[in-house]
Amino acid sequence: MSGKATARKKAALLIAIVALVAFVILGQIPGGPRTQLSIVSGSENEGLEPIIAEWAEKNRVDATVTYLGSVDISREISKGAETDFDAVWPANSLWIELGDTQKVVKHRESILRSPVVLGLKRPIAEKLGWVGRDDITIQMIQEAATAGAFRLAMTSATQSNSGASAYNGFLYALSGDPDLLTMEDLEDPEVQAGVKSLLAQVDRSSGSSGWLKESLVENPAAYDAMINYEAMVLEANLALETAGQEPLYIVYPANGLSVADSPLGMIDKGDPDKEEAFLALQKHLLSPETQESLVAAGRRAGLIGLSASANDEIWNPAWGADPDRAIAPVPTPSTEVIAEALRLYQTELRKPSLTVWVLDVSGSMEGEPLAQLKQAMGLLLDPAAAAVNLLQPSSRDVTIIIPFNHETQKPTVVEGGESTDLAAALQRVNTLEAGGGTDLYYAIFQAFETLKPYNEAGTLFDYLPAIVAMTDGASDVINREPLLSYMNDLGFGRDVPIHAISFGAADEAQLKELNQETVGRLFNAGSDLAKALRSAKGYN
Amino acid sequence: MQKTLIGLVILGIVAAIAVAVNTLDMGGVTRQRERREPVDVSIYYGGEKSALLGNEAVRRILEHDYRITLDAQKAGSVEMATTLPVTGKDCIWPSNAVAVELAKRSGKTVLGEETIFNSPVVFYAWSEVADALAAKGVVSEKDGFLVADVARIGALIESGARWKEDLGVNVYGRFKISSTHPAKSNSGNIWSALLATTLNGGETPVPGDLPGLLPKITDYFAQMGHMEASSGDIFENFLKQGLGARPIIVGYENQLVEFLTANADYEELIKTKIRVIYPEPTIFASHPLISLTDHCKRLAEALVDPALQRIASAEHGFRTGLIGVENDPADIGVAALPETITFVAPMPSAEVMEAVISAVR
Repeated sequence: MSGKATARKKAALLIAIVALVAFVILGQIPGGPRTQLSIVSGSENEGLEPIIAEWAEKNRVDATVTYLGSVDISREISKGAETDFDAVWPANSLWIELGDTQKVVKHRESILRSPVVLGLKRPIAEKLGWVGRDDITIQMIQEAATAGAFRLAMTSATQSNSGASAYNGFLYALSGDPDLLTMEDLEDPEVQAGVKSLLAQVDRSSGSSGWLKESLVENPAAYDAMINYEAMVLEANLALETAGQEPLYIVYPANGLSVADSPLGMIDKGDPDKEEAFLALQKHLLSPETQESLVAAGRRAGLIGLSASANDEIWNPAWGADPDRAIAPVPTPSTEVIAEALRLYQTELRKPSLTVWVLDVSGSMEGEPLAQLKQAMGLLLDPAAAAVNLLQPSSRDVTIIIPFNHETQKPTVVEGGESTDLAAALQRVNTLEAGGGTDLYYAIFQAFETLKPYNEAGTLFDYLPAIVAMTDGASDVINREPLLSYMNDLGFGRDVPIHAISFGAADEAQLKELNQETVGRLFNAGSDLAKALRSAKGYN
Repeated sequence: MQKTLIGLVILGIVAAIAVAVNTLDMGGVTRQRERREPVDVSIYYGGEKSALLGNEAVRRILEHDYRITLDAQKAGSVEMATTLPVTGKDCIWPSNAVAVELAKRSGKTVLGEETIFNSPVVFYAWSEVADALAAKGVVSEKDGFLVADVARIGALIESGARWKEDLGVNVYGRFKISSTHPAKSNSGNIWSALLATTLNGGETPVPGDLPGLLPKITDYFAQMGHMEASSGDIFENFLKQGLGARPIIVGYENQLVEFLTANADYEELIKTKIRVIYPEPTIFASHPLISLTDHCKRLAEALVDPALQRIASAEHGFRTGLIGVENDPADIGVAALPETITFVAPMPSAEVMEAVISAVR
């Protein structure tokens, strides 16, 4: 090889290297590779997603937000660095403290605040003489609801922070406003009876604050009042007025009041790029400009105090919104008291649920889907597994299981939470085999039939009744019309929500129709059926 | 083609810089200055100093002027002096003078200690709360600053006074001063010491006073419910969650200075809404640097460098007070601080504090 050729080759190689280096450097100039940031948040923040999306786009970050209830966020945190999420944004610091046993949450800062209030249809508030008052107590709300002045909706205290906060407020109020809620207060039979009778007034429940708000906006006729964040009532009111509906009037309870502090924290996985992206996002959310837009979205923000700006349209005094009102929340009890209060809620005090589980065992469920279904039912029916997720049945719950394909099998009815009864029901579920066609409509007709005796005895609405359909395939529609007209004639056919958990190829149009008819909700089982099931159960 | 050309230019620049750096180094220019060997220093520090150690100018002084590569890990002041293993650490930098004694008592080899700076414990209150306490004669004005008579606060706590009924402030429950957990965090710990002194009739408690004192102290902290574990967290929550949640808290004097340095936009709002109240007496949170190895010397030297001390005072609000260092509170642009704090109580002995900590744990 001649020296010349070698030199030329060397030159070519040099140019190639330089080109490669230049390509790499140029590729970096616009800001380098995109950072992935996966955030898990309470559903009340859904309205704020555009703020995150806009920031992410500008900063070359792929930010995804998943919405879960507080208990589920707490469970994610308890996985430590193993969780798939990079950042957590629950409604209250409490859920980080309960879940962060491995001390992985870093850089926690409260982004916004919102008190838990009662939103009440204004004509009802007027009739009760509650407009413009600041002395409405939890006891007065209890009395009015018991007297039938309004139907009350709130989220589950063991699934969602707004429900847990309201429940904590009830405990304080009905214990006679102690300085600090203690174990002795929780054990007091009078306190328990009072809270139980207040929770018995709950007409519709929900697993998440955001969904409760959406459901009310979509079905205003099904609701009179909801306990939710001030921000959710304000958001609902904007939507209700746009739809030509009556807005809600905000009542700030004079006792037992709680405030959500909405902390955003990072899960420490030792990734400096993610940390940098997280801190930049947090800084952006806490910047004066973003804080101002949060106030305009009905949140109490800013770095100082709980006041908000009366200049923004959303803080409408006609809705009872009072940004200058002094908010005096009850103190947060110790962690042990909170844990015991939640256990007590789940097993003793909440309104009992009457749930009809309609299980698809048609041919297409063969294999993995049926295995998942059995595993999920195990979560509900095995007391130890249920307790971990705060899903344990109370002694007053009723669980009905109806397997179906093109035919509907006999129902299994479990009254109460006796472990032997639950084990027998689980045994039946575990022996189910897949086969045949799908007739969901007939199965739901049968579900209503099992509720009929309760309705005739006048006890149906002592429970929170619900039908949950779990299905993976499009149903034969031959019984669709008959079911809908049966529901019309039944009297209570529109008052029992039909929730659905769909698998893979399910015809969601069919399921959505049933959900909408009854103010139910559709869950997609996706890859985690157990989680979908927990969500569905949260609405009971 | 264009990319290749730009690439060549970039490569050229990179090469030129590399040559320049090399030449400088080869020429011994850098060595003409009296440069010392770099040193790695590994420490535990109390969280109150996070912002200071994160300050770019401070890092430049440590790295450039003193050639220190600092590996600093946050830990609780009490913890680092007692239970936390310190193998591999060159110094510990707690926020509490008692920690020196605690470290010796727990068998650590203490080669030396030097107090780098101080910050007195203060109360932060919402203005309505300060007014209500002034009306009760608990808080008064002195030389343009608010002071609180701790003995009267103790009496108010012991009388079971209530916010709404007795003080006319719309706050839930009994009058109390929120603090961090005394067994976890230093500001809460110092508050427990101050409270113990107050409940002991203003005398610094000795072991013989404990049987009468401990039940009162544990009773007080049992009333607090949930308490934060960090002084930074309680200060942030105090500001963000408003008067109703925390009417008055225990903090360090320098916290407000740091907040205003970082959030200048909020200066007006802070001035109208927040009051700093100096307890009489107060206790200083000292920040002693405790040497465990010889490597600690360089850091001790760097931390008392006048330039660093000036930053600690002007931007972070610490009181430095070393001979030869100007420590004029007027340097602090963002907040007015009293020039001297005269009425200061000593921390009780390590033995007494150990008893208090284990009683409230």
